[in-house]
Amino acid sequence: MNGKVPSIVLSMALVAGALAGCGGNNEKENAAPSGSQSPSGSSGASQTPASEAPKDEKPTEITIMLPLNTSETPPDTIKNEVEKLTNTKLTYQFFPADTYEEKLNASLATGSLPDVTYLKNQSTFINLKGAIRDGQFWEIGPYLNDFPNLSKLKTQILDNTKVDGKLYSLYIGRPLARQGLIYRKDWADKLQLKAPETVADVVAMAKAFTEQDPDGDGKPNTIGLADRNDLVYGAFKTVASWLSTPNNWGEKDGKLLPDFMFPQYIASMDVMKEIRDAKAMNQDFAATSKTDQVALFTSGQAGMYIGAMSDVDTLNKDLVKNVPTAVVDTQALIKGPNGELTTWSIPGYNNVVMFPKGAIKDEAELKKVLAFFDKMMTPEVSNLMFWGIEGTHYTVVDGKAKASEENKELTEREVKGFKDSVIGESATNGSYDGYYTLEARIHAEQFAAENEKIAIADPAAALDSATYTEKGAELQSIITDATYKYIYGKLDAAGFQKEINTWKSRGGDKIIEEINAARTK
Amino acid sequence: MQQAIAKPEPALRSESRLSRRLIRNKWLYLMILPGLLYFIIFKYVPMYGLIISFKDYKPFDGINGSEWVGFKHFHRLFAESDFGAILRNTLVLFGMNLVFFFPIPIILSLMLNELRISFFRRIFQTLIYLPHFMSWVIIVSISYVMLTMDGGIVNELLTSLGFEKVNFLLSPEWFRPTYIIQVIWREAGWGTIIYLAAIAAIDPQLYEAARMDGAGRLRQIWHITLPAIRSVIVVLLILKIGDVLELGFEHVYLLLNSMNRDVAEIIDTYVYTAGLRQGQFSYSTAVGFFKSIVGLVLVMLANRLAKKMGEEGVY
Repeated sequence: MNGKVPSIVLSMALVAGALAGCGGNNEKENAAPSGSQSPSGSSGASQTPASEAPKDEKPTEITIMLPLNTSETPPDTIKNEVEKLTNTKLTYQFFPADTYEEKLNASLATGSLPDVTYLKNQSTFINLKGAIRDGQFWEIGPYLNDFPNLSKLKTQILDNTKVDGKLYSLYIGRPLARQGLIYRKDWADKLQLKAPETVADVVAMAKAFTEQDPDGDGKPNTIGLADRNDLVYGAFKTVASWLSTPNNWGEKDGKLLPDFMFPQYIASMDVMKEIRDAKAMNQDFAATSKTDQVALFTSGQAGMYIGAMSDVDTLNKDLVKNVPTAVVDTQALIKGPNGELTTWSIPGYNNVVMFPKGAIKDEAELKKVLAFFDKMMTPEVSNLMFWGIEGTHYTVVDGKAKASEENKELTEREVKGFKDSVIGESATNGSYDGYYTLEARIHAEQFAAENEKIAIADPAAALDSATYTEKGAELQSIITDATYKYIYGKLDAAGFQKEINTWKSRGGDKIIEEINAARTK
Repeated sequence: MQQAIAKPEPALRSESRLSRRLIRNKWLYLMILPGLLYFIIFKYVPMYGLIISFKDYKPFDGINGSEWVGFKHFHRLFAESDFGAILRNTLVLFGMNLVFFFPIPIILSLMLNELRISFFRRIFQTLIYLPHFMSWVIIVSISYVMLTMDGGIVNELLTSLGFEKVNFLLSPEWFRPTYIIQVIWREAGWGTIIYLAAIAAIDPQLYEAARMDGAGRLRQIWHITLPAIRSVIVVLLILKIGDVLELGFEHVYLLLNSMNRDVAEIIDTYVYTAGLRQGQFSYSTAVGFFKSIVGLVLVMLANRLAKKMGEEGVY
């Protein structure tokens, strides 16, 4: 790399000239069929390939690009099985999740995206909206009804992924509200603390874990909360949501405003500041990676972790290796100071998959690719990709999938890479729910279900703003930096307000205007 | 008229002379061909892409199909109120590199040169080369473990000595020292290679003569070694200035966080965030273009300065 980024961009941009030149013509040819052609004859015809493909038909060749969350590329074990079940010839291109966005943008700039392109998360999707509007991806909305399984995808979530009212993507579903607290129950019992029920209890627990020597070695070597440099999936947003801070956007006097303009946001920063000032959390959290955060918890140094409750399995696994007596539990449904009970929810998906026009040349080809995804939504294929091979990677207990204990490493290596690419969720693709033995994880699942009832959704999830697409991420960093500075005591309330004004003047005002205009449309 | 007719003749003649020269030295020309191709393919041809900084580049429309927007992206760059800070941060880090880092390999190689026992010298050389082969990720991670406030060894040491803990990782004041110390640790040893080669080329008779005249070790260094490697130092200095803005994107990006962004955001990290993370290709190309211009100006200044001082310069 060494500062050569611009020249890399340039050289790739050059190649793009040639490639995108070809792509331009396709757009015109393809513009017509994307209308409302499907209702009459074609829907009946195209159901055939979806449901019962003739055995002797040539396998569809599909190239798939997706982020990889493990350290090495999985072997072909799962891929080969999937190919058999779906009559396809698949080429998977895995790229490390950490640098996936660059890879994505670079491939986009050079027009070299493959047939099927997974994004990384919701924010990559938002960043890509510009490219979607430019017509680089197939609009797939009109085709969904032709496929019996794809048409089962939840309408509400599909709506959340629409751009200008058109659907370009299939979603990878996730439970709406998995956020909560994971804590050391053995420590809490020792200090005679009950599971926290209010934000004040959470703060008190963090302080008690720091000051009262919960590990009983007579040294002040423990802290309460382990957090990381992530205001959203780290502790901050979840704590803020317990204090009823709106989820990204909230309504005030009939107008949508961003969350940081609400007094609850300031109150949330105050809570974090209180914990940090009391030295009850890692002091360097603004520079702490997730690996280091997890290490703080699993080494027995920190006793609380606020984030996705489903992380409890891995946290527990590594913690008991270091501290065999440790017991963890999960907790959610935490009340704010006035007894209000709220949390935040994601828009029902954590990633989407898209179909570039550069690689898929015509409608027939697109239908073949969609047919593959249609088959992915059958229980056989989705279980295979999510859980692995029955008997090897998991067993079925009480109609639920129980991940194999002894083959844990094998599953990690062979299956995990495919797990995050299964579209839909268990309700729509028929895959098994998980069977868990760890009590904390069972609690986590129950809390996740309870959380959904009290979750605040993002009212602007499906709304668009051109200014946001252009420089929203850049502007957001003003607020992110200011939030950290406030928690660290480098900014006071007035200073924070000043940063909000900077945000507004650099384009924030326009974003507010556009979001509200989109809402009343 | 006559002139017009006469003109082609010398051109023709010089052309044939050129081709004759080409044929005569064909092997030499053939040998520079790969280098020439490298520069054309990887340095000159990509410059064509610079035009996207004057366009609203959309990948789907291609470079030629995108719309011209004139200096829009440059306007945005200079109007962004952060721009001043980013340029300042870049130049400050560059200055620190020059002042604190640049002399160290020279001093190191002078010291190495004075080592008598060659076994010890070789071991030492290898040891100081080693960090160069470690990636920044590793170096920054090691520093994190040492400097963190939650059990980092440096802060533990400070507390045991009765000092307050220092927030090395997050405070803006400590970013630059951390940066420069890491650069020295990683690169100082590697930087000695060229100086050591230059020193090895010095005629030993000069030292003998100096010793005869009663010059001590320090006098020999001052009057023989340093003047002998002076031109090497100047050339390396100019080249270093040419790299002005190559401050090690990876390194700075790894050290960058929300708390020290005010001093740690440099042009490279800004280009990366705006271009590759947020997909603003035209804008980030404009920023990168501007950076290259600053680099060019600095090299020309340094070269002129070198010539004024009686040195050869690089062109």
